[in-house]
Amino acid sequence: MIHFHNVSKHYDNQTALRNINFSIEKGEMVFITGPSGSGKTTLLKLIYLAEKPDEGNISIAGWETNQLRESSIPFLRRNIGVVFQDYRLLSNRNIFENVAIALMIRGVNDKEVKTRVLDSLKTVNLRHRVNSYPKALSGGEQQRIVIARAIVAEPTVVLADEPTGNLDPDTAAGIIRLFKEINLKGITIIVATHNRELFRNTCKRVIRLDNGNLVGEEVG
Amino acid sequence: MAAPYAFRFAFQSVLREKWINLLSTLTIATGLLIITFAVFSVYNIDAATKKLPEKFFMMLYLEDNLHGQGLENVINTLRKDNAVETVRYISREDALKELKGTLKDANYVLEGLGENPLPDSIELKLKKEAVSPETAKRLATDAKKIKGVNEVEYGEKFLSSIHSIKVGLKIIVLTLIIITSAGIIFVCYSTVKILFYRRTDEIETYKLLGATRGFVRAPFIIEGALIGTAGGLLSLIGIISFYYMVLLKLSLTIPLFKAILFPTNIFLLLPVTGLFLGITGATIALGRLRF
Ligand SMILES: Nc1ncnc2c1ncn2[C@@H]1O[C@H](COP(=O)(O)OP(=O)(O)OP(=O)(O)O)[C@@H](O)[C@H]1O
Ligand SMILES: [Mg+2]
Repeated sequence: MIHFHNVSKHYDNQTALRNINFSIEKGEMVFITGPSGSGKTTLLKLIYLAEKPDEGNISIAGWETNQLRESSIPFLRRNIGVVFQDYRLLSNRNIFENVAIALMIRGVNDKEVKTRVLDSLKTVNLRHRVNSYPKALSGGEQQRIVIARAIVAEPTVVLADEPTGNLDPDTAAGIIRLFKEINLKGITIIVATHNRELFRNTCKRVIRLDNGNLVGEEVG
Repeated sequence: MAAPYAFRFAFQSVLREKWINLLSTLTIATGLLIITFAVFSVYNIDAATKKLPEKFFMMLYLEDNLHGQGLENVINTLRKDNAVETVRYISREDALKELKGTLKDANYVLEGLGENPLPDSIELKLKKEAVSPETAKRLATDAKKIKGVNEVEYGEKFLSSIHSIKVGLKIIVLTLIIITSAGIIFVCYSTVKILFYRRTDEIETYKLLGATRGFVRAPFIIEGALIGTAGGLLSLIGIISFYYMVLLKLSLTIPLFKAILFPTNIFLLLPVTGLFLGITGATIALGRLRF
């Protein structure tokens, strides 16, 4: 599903990732962990093509990303739902529209948009906030909206960057349970987090980064 | 499938950014009004001067006592010229009669004259399309060379000044139209660009969620088209109100204004022109943006 082969990424004079190799199979749930600045976000950005690797090859769902035409990028991204570390909610659109946008860009019709958005909001327990605006929501609530948006279009892969950063331990555990449920439907899940509590006793694969290096793998 | 969303997004943006859009629309409407008035003036000047060629004639004054073969020769040579429409011989007696006719009650002016002082003459009418300073001049020179022709007279200055006024006016108006159109395109271009930059964050999010170039661009093109068309409609309303509130009232009191022509069907083109200029501006604006 996702293969990294000798991948390196440098920003200006900063090396964010160095010679990374790993594979994630379809239907897996994997944690990426490591201290702040270790390269977790960068690794996810390489997967959803927000960044290009400086060295090495990445293949995603059978697509060789460095051979991908610019015009194909949107269609590759539609296989991926992303929970951005900085949320990326649209402040001038309400919650319904914020989630619906993921379907609109795919050309889904109004009627289907409505049912799927409400379903998705129900999944994250925010059905009652459909008409609110992001500003009116707490950090944790905003984070759950982002999750709803990431899963609403039923992608084959969900990338979650610090998806529980603003949540209390109980709600955080609930989110991980939610990801596990989604994973049971065969969707590949990759969660980047520095919070060890999240993967403790999950029995899932954990990839450990440190200072841009892949330093090891374990089972949570 | 994505098309309805493009329209919805465009309309939402028009409402959300109502001030900038309103300002652009007003600017476009003003520009189109300027163009309309320019076209309107040219149209009227053209119409007013269209009949001039029919009235234009050239007088050839002949040597005394030119009759028979000599006169025939002059007339035939003139008839052969491509620019000539009709050739009319006016004998000195006829000329005097005509003069008396025009003078009517002022006939006494002529009483002092013993003998008829007028020469025999030929009146030339030119073909409509041939009435131009160059042809008239050429014909006058040629005619003067014909044996028996004494003098040639025509409104040389008049003809050339009418002509240069018409040409000059058309150049000015054309320049005005080009500059104003470029201005309108620029207004649409800047508006779309500003709207785009105000939304770069939002657009970046759309792209990360998997939006195509078309999905991102279409609303801006539609928005450009909307403000262009709105500007066109507004200028149409402007020009129609000008007709009813100014021109019509003026022509009731000042009959001269009745002669002014108002080509309504031409003005219906205004919204289409606005649409076209709006789309052009928006397309240029987006074409230079990287994404
Ligand atoms: N756009 C950028 N320009 C320059 N340097 C960057 C950029 N993005 C990240 N970096 C650098 O790359 C390194 C890895 O950053 P990254 O965001 O991937 O870390 P992270 O593991 O996600 O950290 P955190 O847990 O704080 O989110 C850091 O040293 C960071 O300063
Ligand atoms: Mg990060």
